[in-house]
Amino acid sequence: MYPVWQVPVMGSALVIAFIASFHILPSHLATSAFWFNVYVENKAYKENRPELLEFIKKYVLVLLIFSFIFGSLSGVGIWYALTVAAPKGISALIHNYVWGWAAEWVFFIIEVLAIYVYYYTFGRVDNKTHLTIGLIYAIGSWISMAIITGIMSFMLSPGKWLTTGAFFDGFFNPTYLPQLLMRTSFMFAVAGLYAIVVAGTLKRKEVASFIIRRASVWGMLGAVLTALFFRVYLWSLPAPARELYGMSILIPKIVPVIVVAAFAALLAWFMVVWLRPRWAKAVPGVLAILILLVGVFSAESIRERIRKPYVIGGYMYSNQIVPAGLPAKGIQGDLATIDSVGILHYSPFVPAGLRTIDTADLLKAGGEIAQIECSACHTLEPNGWLRPLPTMVRMAGLSSVDNAQAFIGFLDAFPFMPRFAGTAAEKKALAAYLVSLYRK
Amino acid sequence: MDISQMLKSLQDPMGVPFYPFVFQVLLVLTFALHIIFVNLVIGGVFMSVYGYFKKGNYYRALSKAFAKASTINFSLLIVLGVAPLLFMQVIYDPFWYTANVLSAAWMVGIVFVLMAAFSFAYVFYMKLYKDRKHIGVWGVAAFLLILLVGVTMHAVSYQALFPEQWVNWYVGGSKADLSGTILHAFQLPRFLHFIVASFAITGIFMMLYAWYFKERDDMDKSYLAWVGKTGAKMAVTFTVLQMVVGVWWLLSLPSGFQFYRNPVFLTAGVLVVLLLLVLIEAQSNPQKYALPAAGLALIGVLGMTSAREALRMLYVGRYNYSVYTYKLNLSYGSTALFAVTFLMGIVIVSYLLSVVFKMGRSSKPLDLSSLRLRTWSVYLMIAWILIMIGIGVAIAS
Ligand code: HEC
Ligand code: HEM
Repeated sequence: MYPVWQVPVMGSALVIAFIASFHILPSHLATSAFWFNVYVENKAYKENRPELLEFIKKYVLVLLIFSFIFGSLSGVGIWYALTVAAPKGISALIHNYVWGWAAEWVFFIIEVLAIYVYYYTFGRVDNKTHLTIGLIYAIGSWISMAIITGIMSFMLSPGKWLTTGAFFDGFFNPTYLPQLLMRTSFMFAVAGLYAIVVAGTLKRKEVASFIIRRASVWGMLGAVLTALFFRVYLWSLPAPARELYGMSILIPKIVPVIVVAAFAALLAWFMVVWLRPRWAKAVPGVLAILILLVGVFSAESIRERIRKPYVIGGYMYSNQIVPAGLPAKGIQGDLATIDSVGILHYSPFVPAGLRTIDTADLLKAGGEIAQIECSACHTLEPNGWLRPLPTMVRMAGLSSVDNAQAFIGFLDAFPFMPRFAGTAAEKKALAAYLVSLYRK
Repeated sequence: MDISQMLKSLQDPMGVPFYPFVFQVLLVLTFALHIIFVNLVIGGVFMSVYGYFKKGNYYRALSKAFAKASTINFSLLIVLGVAPLLFMQVIYDPFWYTANVLSAAWMVGIVFVLMAAFSFAYVFYMKLYKDRKHIGVWGVAAFLLILLVGVTMHAVSYQALFPEQWVNWYVGGSKADLSGTILHAFQLPRFLHFIVASFAITGIFMMLYAWYFKERDDMDKSYLAWVGKTGAKMAVTFTVLQMVVGVWWLLSLPSGFQFYRNPVFLTAGVLVVLLLLVLIEAQSNPQKYALPAAGLALIGVLGMTSAREALRMLYVGRYNYSVYTYKLNLSYGSTALFAVTFLMGIVIVSYLLSVVFKMGRSSKPLDLSSLRLRTWSVYLMIAWILIMIGIGVAIAS
């Protein structure tokens, strides 16, 4: 076990969530926008309409600065946040998928070069070359999305990997294809949205309305397909995830409603500007992007929640304990060892005074255990932001140590919580700690 | 718990999918690329600010050139940092993860510092081209923030090497810190070794700049000659300084290492002495010596980063840790995937670089549509997708 990074009140899980949400917009723009770009540029050359190029220059600059830089930095940010909040989780992913990530890195290099070359060769090389460079960026960034989707969907539904441990079995897992199709369609909707905002600022109105109409068609198609594949994706979920999807304490009924409402609002926006391109002003355009963001955020948070109690489905709990191991890779589960030696001995990063329960301060030892085993999903402070443990304890009515001990013994009776790992004495210490929270 | 046992228990039970030596080579190689761009950004942002404050047209032109180049180099620095980040975690995971968690707030914080630094550098660049006044503060702020990132990266890399201190830093004593807001270790000569090098590398970059643009008929020849001369002077001065700092670092290493006798280090030493000789020779005609100097500098940096890895092996060897004994779970399929992708990447990157190279040297628009790599680049990517679809279909059926 690695040390646990303690973030007061907010909880380390929310640090990841915030950075990840920030990452959504620039990263989706960075992958999607160039397809529309290449499409318009191609039209400009084929139909000899140089006025369309004005749009492209504007479109690319924002992309380069906002999307590319902030997208790649926040991507690194998610990685860092995971590194410090769930080191064993990211370690397991990396030791499985290092070559996948390394391949993705090759595409990152291609992308960063391509986007700069594209930008700085405007008007300085022939049209064919310039278009090819745009295409290289578009394909390259789609491939990097296709790779990362494999790894993310693996975390949700590792499929055959749980028995074979093989790279491609995990990569091409049951939810991979639906997710890839959904994200690809979604990409076109984002490209459309963004193009509408940029086109709205163009001086030449006939160019603007031409682009806005095309972009809204892209957007409508993209949005409808996204909804379709979202449905397929829900069907493809493994049974435990589907069960969690139906549990309202985990996913409030309002969340799917938000997703659908955001989708409907977008569709309406595309239709409005298709009919009345002149209404595509900056404020409603940006508003539409924000609505989209809320929708994506809700959808992503569903994905995070239906993975519980695992960080890597079926393999590693959110608190980074590996329950059953993976015989195909010669990995033993942690549970048996932890149950016999105790979690406070198992982790090297426990103050020496707390290791042996008999002599330690019972409440402090219990707090330490909660820190290691519960804080991935519960903040420990009463005013914490993430399912604060004191509130939970009161909800469950854990007013006596016996009560609490029994509760801990059956923690995994809740489909979204891991099994408690530790000795009987540690269970008692945790119980005492929980009861002290009840009284707070 | 015994330290070496603790390290063993922290290693990922998943094992590594290919021979650790390969990851080590990739780590050193990609780290060298990362640090070269770190050097170029530190030196480049500095020169753009320095040139802005100095009087004179040449300095002003140099300042602009560096302001623009630095925003590009900054993006490259970020992407090039990702690869060592990855390979590091494969073979040195116990060290890397613990050191990161121990300074977690810093490591997460530098992401935002980087965003701010880039934004400031970009604002500086934009305002510089619009000839605005009183904009130095943007450049200075960007420079200081970049140094702050360097300080953090160094501290975390360095504290990774002291596993016997970790528990103490985390929960022991009065300075215990669970929220990762403290940097626990710092070694000045090691840090300076990266900073001083920045100016030497940037000087060589200026020599290259002078060499590259001398073909352009629309560029001022005497300006280019001045850039070359200034760069060569900078390069030689800071290479000498770098050697002084290097010796200082050497002397501050644990004496048991006897690092001055290490063959990797000695090789790297010979390379940088050669570099110094070339740089001395280059003073009279920097443009002529730009390519050999850059080549030697590249090899020299590779030598030094290899020596840095050899040094790390000595540090971790104190706790009987060796990357070569990492558990193996060979995965030929995924290794092949990377190898093929990497080769494809080399082709496409060569294509893109050849376009820039040709374009930059011409003052008029160019027709490059007949470059053969152009269509190849697109076909290779499409082939990549088709291969993956093939594998996917095979797995599903
Ligand atoms: C994988 C994430 C996860 C972990 C780890 C986890 N929990 Fe939970 N826990 C949840 C979720 C999700 C809920 C339901 C939240 C809600 O009701 O809003 C919950 C609810 C609870 C409740 C309230 C149950 C009820 O009857 O309503 C208690 C008490 C609780 N957890 C205690 C713990 C303790 C103690 C630990 C550590 C040993 C722990 N949890 C670890 C996810 C987790
Ligand atoms: C302005 C930005 C940056 C600066 C100035 C910087 C500077 C440095 C320095 C000085 C080191 C060497 C530390 C030492 O050995 O003591 C280093 C190492 C490293 N950096 Fe960066 N860096 C920057 C950005 C990044 C980014 C964005 C990433 C990741 C994407 C990154 C990843 C790494 C890695 C993986 C190492 C290797 C650590 C090791 O081998 O011990 N860096 N960096």
